[in-house]
Amino acid sequence: MTAVESTTVKTDKTVLPVSAAASPTMAALRQFARSPAGVVGAVVLLFLILATLFGPSIYGVDPLDIAGAPFTPPDADTWLGTDYLGRDILAGLLQGGRATLTVGGVAAIITIMIGVTIGSLAGFFGGPIDTALTKITEFFQILPPLLFAMVLVTLFGQTLTTVTIAIGVVSWPSAARLTRAEFLRLRNLDFVKASRAAGAGNGHLILRVVLPNALPPIIVSATLAIGVAILFEGGLSFLGLGDPNTMSWGLMLGQNRNYVLNAWWTVAFPGAAIFIAVLAISLIGDGVNDAINPRLRKRG
Amino acid sequence: MNLALHILRQVANAVGLLVAVLVLNFCLIHAAPGDPALVIAGEMGGASADVIAALRVKYGLDKSLIEQLFTYLGSVATGDFGYSYYFNAPVTGLIAQRIPATLYLVLSALAISVVIGTLLGVVSARKPNGLFSQGVTVISLAGYAAPVFWTGLMLLLLFGSVWPILPVTGMTDVARPKVGFAHVVDILQHLVLPATTLALVFIAQYSRLARVNMIDALTADYVRTARAKGLPEFVVIGKHALRNTLIPIVTVAGLQFGHLFAGAVLVETVFSWPGMGRLVFESILRRDYPTLLAVLFFSAVLVMAANIVTDLVYRLVDPRIRSGAR
Repeated sequence: MTAVESTTVKTDKTVLPVSAAASPTMAALRQFARSPAGVVGAVVLLFLILATLFGPSIYGVDPLDIAGAPFTPPDADTWLGTDYLGRDILAGLLQGGRATLTVGGVAAIITIMIGVTIGSLAGFFGGPIDTALTKITEFFQILPPLLFAMVLVTLFGQTLTTVTIAIGVVSWPSAARLTRAEFLRLRNLDFVKASRAAGAGNGHLILRVVLPNALPPIIVSATLAIGVAILFEGGLSFLGLGDPNTMSWGLMLGQNRNYVLNAWWTVAFPGAAIFIAVLAISLIGDGVNDAINPRLRKRG
Repeated sequence: MNLALHILRQVANAVGLLVAVLVLNFCLIHAAPGDPALVIAGEMGGASADVIAALRVKYGLDKSLIEQLFTYLGSVATGDFGYSYYFNAPVTGLIAQRIPATLYLVLSALAISVVIGTLLGVVSARKPNGLFSQGVTVISLAGYAAPVFWTGLMLLLLFGSVWPILPVTGMTDVARPKVGFAHVVDILQHLVLPATTLALVFIAQYSRLARVNMIDALTADYVRTARAKGLPEFVVIGKHALRNTLIPIVTVAGLQFGHLFAGAVLVETVFSWPGMGRLVFESILRRDYPTLLAVLFFSAVLVMAANIVTDLVYRLVDPRIRSGAR
């Protein structure tokens, strides 16, 4: 939802080709509110964010403390049971969500920043710049992203920062291709030519003329990038590549995975948390897509 | 007619990109914190003074970076990807040993997901607002959002303790014969769970893709023409519409080979499947950098090969490209 709002911040209404309605944000929000899937996703995500923000202090159990015997099944005291060290699973989920959701958000921002920069330069300038940047994109695409992230984290250390940067660095090619395609489509349209004739420089043309009009698909892809980043964080932590000092949903899964046959709750709940978060985000992505791409609304 | 030339160009491009991957590997070794010799030896490996000294000589670590790069590329050209001090074996051999298991897993997951995904998408496109179609939409959303390692663990729980009808770890049963038909059956049984787990993610994507494209195709003029001239419905869908639905699926399947491989790393770890993914996990655990970097390189080789094959299949499915109108 904040992504939708930020469009208007960046959108310079004077250069929009089509005279926009009184408030495009409100129009988009109204559209978004009409998509039941999007609203459900937004409510669930909001709940998860609030739970991780305020949950730990309300629940009041330290996620690193021994709360009971190891592998206590879910009961009245420990609602979701305890893990292999006897730590409270619910406390871990509430605390761990902070790291997981933060990594997801920040990594998605890095992904989009790199992708949009490379894609817009390639699409706007064309020629040798495009050839070079497309080659670089192609190069990054032949490296399996998750595997590349594993190598980066293994080599450069297991901290939350490394994990976040690694996820961003390996995930940008699809955003770059998308942005490039939009820029190629837009750069020769009349309103861009008009701005250029009016004396606008390249920087102004890219940032204030073309980019605002290329934003709708980029926003959708940014939303989905958060989900992918959360899945990547989970995958890295699952393999033991997370930050061992910061509780996260992936870390809980990775540390308890060998006990799945004896204590299902140690693994089922953290995984379900990741699942619900990613599901909510992709529902939001669908809703945003419907709201800003009215053309596509009727499609599957 | 220009197919040979086209393939040649593709291969040349692939070789260029793969050399770039090697250069990246080289840069990573040198950019990583710490002494490159220690990095190459692996932190947990035989970092004895003798080994380190030998490595310094072998990779010319006292020479300039450019010279070192060419020494590295030279040794790779002879198939030498270094020595794993953890496994106590040359890395190339280790990987060659693990490639078949990974290919079994990845290719069967690919086949399952393309076939089932397309089928689900095509059937649900016939009544886009029907119950079946909505079920497919839910499944594809869920399949996309569920972390593959978690799905794997849940299946392992289900078939490991609740309903033990399938083997949940490894690739073969120690007690079973290692030759002939029984061996094949043994491997196939062990393959069911890992391949299904890995396929689920992609079934979700392909069914969604197939559904959208099939809905589009069914409203296209050529489908109306085919119906108008009285072709039976299964020919209209199976022959005319399906072809156009397959094109994007082939493209996406080819592009996603890297994701498939990365997913295999997680799935192999869950089910102890003895492939390259499991090797990745073990080398991460032991900080065995030569093995890790070599796997990164070989996965890029697999992705390139998949891209070239995709391109050929693409030409086969889409006659417009075959005739060279591109």
